[in-house]
Amino acid sequence: MKRSTMLAGLLLSGSLALTACSGNAAGADKTSAGPGGQAATGGTVQVLANAGFSHLDPVRGFDGGVNNFYRLIYRTLTTQGAAPGADGTKIVPDLATDTGKPSDGGKTWTFTLKDGVAFETGAPITSADVKFAVSRAWDPEIGIGSPYAKQIIAAPASYQGPYKSGEMPTIETPDAKTVVFHLKKPYADFGSVVAQNTFVPVPKGTGAGTELDSKPIASGPYKVSAYKPGASLKLVRNDKWDAKTDSIRAAKPDGFQWTFGLDPATIDERMIAGQGTDANAIAGTIQAASVARIQTPQLKQRTLSGLGGCTTYMGLNSTKKPLNDVRVRQAINFAVNKQTVRDAVGGSTLADLATSIQPPTIVGRADYDPYPSPDGKGDVEAARKLLTEAGQAGGFTMTLDTRAQPKMQAMAVAIQQALQPLKIAVKINIIDTSTYYEVIGTPSQQHDAAITGWCPDWPSGATFLPPLFDGRNITAKGNSNLSQLNDPGVNKTIDEIAALKDVTAANAAYGELDKQIMKLAPMVPLLYEKVLMVVGSNIAGAYLHDGFSGGIDLVSVGLTDAGK
Amino acid sequence: MSTTPTLLEVEEVGAAAGGPPTSTQRILTRLVHDKAAVLCLAFLLIVVLMAAFAPLITKLSGWGPYEFDSSAINSALGGVPNGSLGGISGEHWFGVEPQNGRDLFARIVYGARVSITIAISATVLTGILGVVLGMLAGFYRGWVDQLISRVMDFLMAFPALIFMIAILSSLPAGNRPVLLVVVISAFGWPYLARVIRGQTMTLANREFVEAARASGAKNLALVFREILPNLRSSIIVMSTLAVPGYIGTEAGLSFLGVGVTPPTASWGQMISSSVSWYSVDPMFFAIPGAFLFLTVLSLTVLGDKIRSVIDAGEAA
Repeated sequence: MKRSTMLAGLLLSGSLALTACSGNAAGADKTSAGPGGQAATGGTVQVLANAGFSHLDPVRGFDGGVNNFYRLIYRTLTTQGAAPGADGTKIVPDLATDTGKPSDGGKTWTFTLKDGVAFETGAPITSADVKFAVSRAWDPEIGIGSPYAKQIIAAPASYQGPYKSGEMPTIETPDAKTVVFHLKKPYADFGSVVAQNTFVPVPKGTGAGTELDSKPIASGPYKVSAYKPGASLKLVRNDKWDAKTDSIRAAKPDGFQWTFGLDPATIDERMIAGQGTDANAIAGTIQAASVARIQTPQLKQRTLSGLGGCTTYMGLNSTKKPLNDVRVRQAINFAVNKQTVRDAVGGSTLADLATSIQPPTIVGRADYDPYPSPDGKGDVEAARKLLTEAGQAGGFTMTLDTRAQPKMQAMAVAIQQALQPLKIAVKINIIDTSTYYEVIGTPSQQHDAAITGWCPDWPSGATFLPPLFDGRNITAKGNSNLSQLNDPGVNKTIDEIAALKDVTAANAAYGELDKQIMKLAPMVPLLYEKVLMVVGSNIAGAYLHDGFSGGIDLVSVGLTDAGK
Repeated sequence: MSTTPTLLEVEEVGAAAGGPPTSTQRILTRLVHDKAAVLCLAFLLIVVLMAAFAPLITKLSGWGPYEFDSSAINSALGGVPNGSLGGISGEHWFGVEPQNGRDLFARIVYGARVSITIAISATVLTGILGVVLGMLAGFYRGWVDQLISRVMDFLMAFPALIFMIAILSSLPAGNRPVLLVVVISAFGWPYLARVIRGQTMTLANREFVEAARASGAKNLALVFREILPNLRSSIIVMSTLAVPGYIGTEAGLSFLGVGVTPPTASWGQMISSSVSWYSVDPMFFAIPGAFLFLTVLSLTVLGDKIRSVIDAGEAA
């Protein structure tokens, strides 16, 4: 369950840009300076950020911002590729020698660790460390991050993590190099699951409580040398990491220096000015107000832009009247003017109009528009017809929950305005940022509609559609099925896809499921937000990674001139 | 001042026969002879008329305060208004808001409604609270005074702005303007009540009050027939000077995001959302800023003039 971190206001540490490649397909400029150029070895990359990291403990942290950062200090059994575009979302072996060997019809998965992998302490990484780390996910206090291990791997119902319940009986370690996972039921894409943060090895017996949040034990190319939560974080090389065992991480710079707590406007100013060490800096997406300022050729050359990989949507609560009538929900889908919603977040450079539930970065996604309107400006006539059929021609009042954040409020106002001609009076209910997801995730407290977003945990429909629309997942708290859709047809298709053995076929089937769900109109897909970043003039090797909400892939970024 | 020429005094004496010495008429006459006061009055009249006739005015200008105009902004540049000076044109007299193209003129006009209504309501409420509680404390003295004065001390010593932000952000959305008025008044009345209490204390010992008491007047009659009319000038001055303060407070709270909720137009909110646009679209900041500044300035100058006229009248 990963909520859109872009919406959460976290500035991701980077995104990148396909610009380097897309503009010059001929490759003639490949050697030139600029974000797409070749990174030299050495130097320190500066990262300017607004919000600090949620957690350094890999079992706790789980959002687009830390996932990208974790790859610098941690390794997992498998990981996503390090390349722009679709190559970046391909799962490749990391600590393991391959992406896993299934047996028992996909219910048992075996991984073998590479030789020569070690923690920053110098101790070799063994299968026991992996087992120990994964079992931490069952600890009720620590296992608050990625939920997949808990959902998929079999475990005794009473198991509460290694500190309380001892060794986990369902993960076997026949020898120091081999880990065997037993799943609850066959899972074809388990190779992607073990790329989750939960599968970062932790030395057996360590990491109780918040120990790892302040002093992580690195397995990747860098280790934390100084960390002041909310202020700064410094990474230096981990000399126990052997580049020969790692085909993913270029790890060119000698270190990284994060500065947290900067005002977004300040970050934009500094990135545009690019003075001093800011020439070696990367930052998150710029604000809408800065877009007009980065139109000069010099700044454009330093700009990276691409899709964030998330969908921003308005969930329609299908248990409330009159939204329980599918025609009313379809009418709203027709009527919403996505153009004005997009302008509210910063216009065409910061978002694309969304038509389907899954964003374009998802493998197997079908590109279609079930509720078309000219230029996405809304088809009021079609909507009115549906409302008349539903007996709601006279209009009604609905309450739209939104976060106390200017961007989110602006979107809510745009929707309010678009529904006004249908005499649908939208009452905007502003909820404090800190309690927003708690409120809308509690069915007894949520209202008729809510604006939120969803990012896939890995770019497959499996982490997008079932969490949002499986009617059996509706919970009294922490509910992500905002529409409370519980449709037997959809549930059945979800089960059928889960039973597919072939990942490619499953992804294609999710594309079809997307269409099946949108016929029921449980949500209005609004936007696929983009990242738009200005990087320092000395930054090289930067590209946006589709798997990290469009952040700049930190394991590949470096400096053109390491001496600067 | 007894040495001043007598013309004025003669007039005063003549007027005194028909009404109290600080007659409304005299204040007005004096004010219209003051250029600054006239300018301020004229501007305030415009703002009040704008507020009162907002729907009519926006009908004339062609754009409502909530209507989006996608054609007036450049989506590819993050939503900056097309054209120079924030998109000022025959169509949009004050330009448009970035990102959605709402007409700034219409939003200024409707924003005046919010500002004026909230400020006036808060002034009326603080006026009533301040006068009643101030007179109670000043007239009865003893434990009533103790109680009221301690509450006033408490409220005045309180970091009011911080508390207002805390209250307003924890309260459910509800009816924001009413909440704003209540919260602003709750922290505003002691300033008036203090002055009223002091004046009531002096007045209560004056001969005419004692004469009334000796002739058998009840407390109620004393307070309302004898003391209150003599507090009039203080109340007028204090209230006039309070209005700009409340306009500023409302704008400040809206700026901080705890004032009226979108899409309602409010000057403070406009200024708040213009902050990030200052370098790209300075007019978005300048226009609501100018209106807020001029309104507060006019009220302050006017309040000051009224005070000096009244003071002169009392001295004479």
